[in-house]
Amino acid sequence: MTAINIYQSLDKSQKEELKKIVLARVQVMPKDLNVSVGGESVNKSELIRHIEKEDKIGEILMLTELEFLQDLAAGAIYAHE
Amino acid sequence: MNKSLLVTRPNDDCTTNYLSFWSLSVIDEAKRKGFDIYDLFAKKANRKDFDSYLRFQKPDILFLNGHGNEKTVTGFAGETLLISSKKKPVKNTIIYARSCSAATILGSKLISWGAKAFIGYIREFIFGYTQSKITRPLEDSLARLFLEPSNLVVTTILKSHKVSEAVERSKEMMYQNFKKMISATATYKERYSASWLWSNIKNQVLYGDMDAVV
Repeated sequence: MTAINIYQSLDKSQKEELKKIVLARVQVMPKDLNVSVGGESVNKSELIRHIEKEDKIGEILMLTELEFLQDLAAGAIYAHE
Repeated sequence: MNKSLLVTRPNDDCTTNYLSFWSLSVIDEAKRKGFDIYDLFAKKANRKDFDSYLRFQKPDILFLNGHGNEKTVTGFAGETLLISSKKKPVKNTIIYARSCSAATILGSKLISWGAKAFIGYIREFIFGYTQSKITRPLEDSLARLFLEPSNLVVTTILKSHKVSEAVERSKEMMYQNFKKMISATATYKERYSASWLWSNIKNQVLYGDMDAVV
């Protein structure tokens, strides 16, 4: 299943919640930090725009954060120890 | 006859420029190991040259740096180098695609065309970098955390280790870096971008013969 499909499987309220969480996190992103993702090089303000628009880049980053939080909660990130 | 490495290094935007610079240490290692190097740098990372080297030099290792999606990997200025709908002569080649999502469809296609093994990402390959370092990518300690472990895929294969070992070592280094990034000693930038490296750990995959070596 691709990133976009998993994101699409969320219902409307779940997507809204996720968007709020990720936007709150991006607000505290260091200004000197950029990310290369999905064929683009993106800075903080561009990232905020992508997430607000919920376009492909925005969805990828939202899903990345969702998976990280899920894995953190499930203890999966310590499974490699 | 020497073993050979074909590497594509477009550099027409910030992402590809970083990948291009960070590939230099892999090329150096290949030279040390006595490999013949076919370096498609900048505008040379075009379809015509790529096809020619692939057909006539039959590289043992193909190291692709560039943008990609489920079905394609591109070269300079977005020109398609590999696409799942057009068969290419990759028989007996070990391929590493440092690009987004190419493992989803293209990876298995390359195996069906005879590639020994394919390593890539089932989703986006993500890396963080420092705006103030964009003219000196090799001095970017944040990008190093993402790109050094990905280089390890190829440098391990160059040393005649199995591809499965290459992936294992790369993942292990990613995980060590990830642990550093979420630790109390990490910088704020490192902590912030740790989730991106976690995504790369989860999405790096290997298809084909797990025991393949050059």
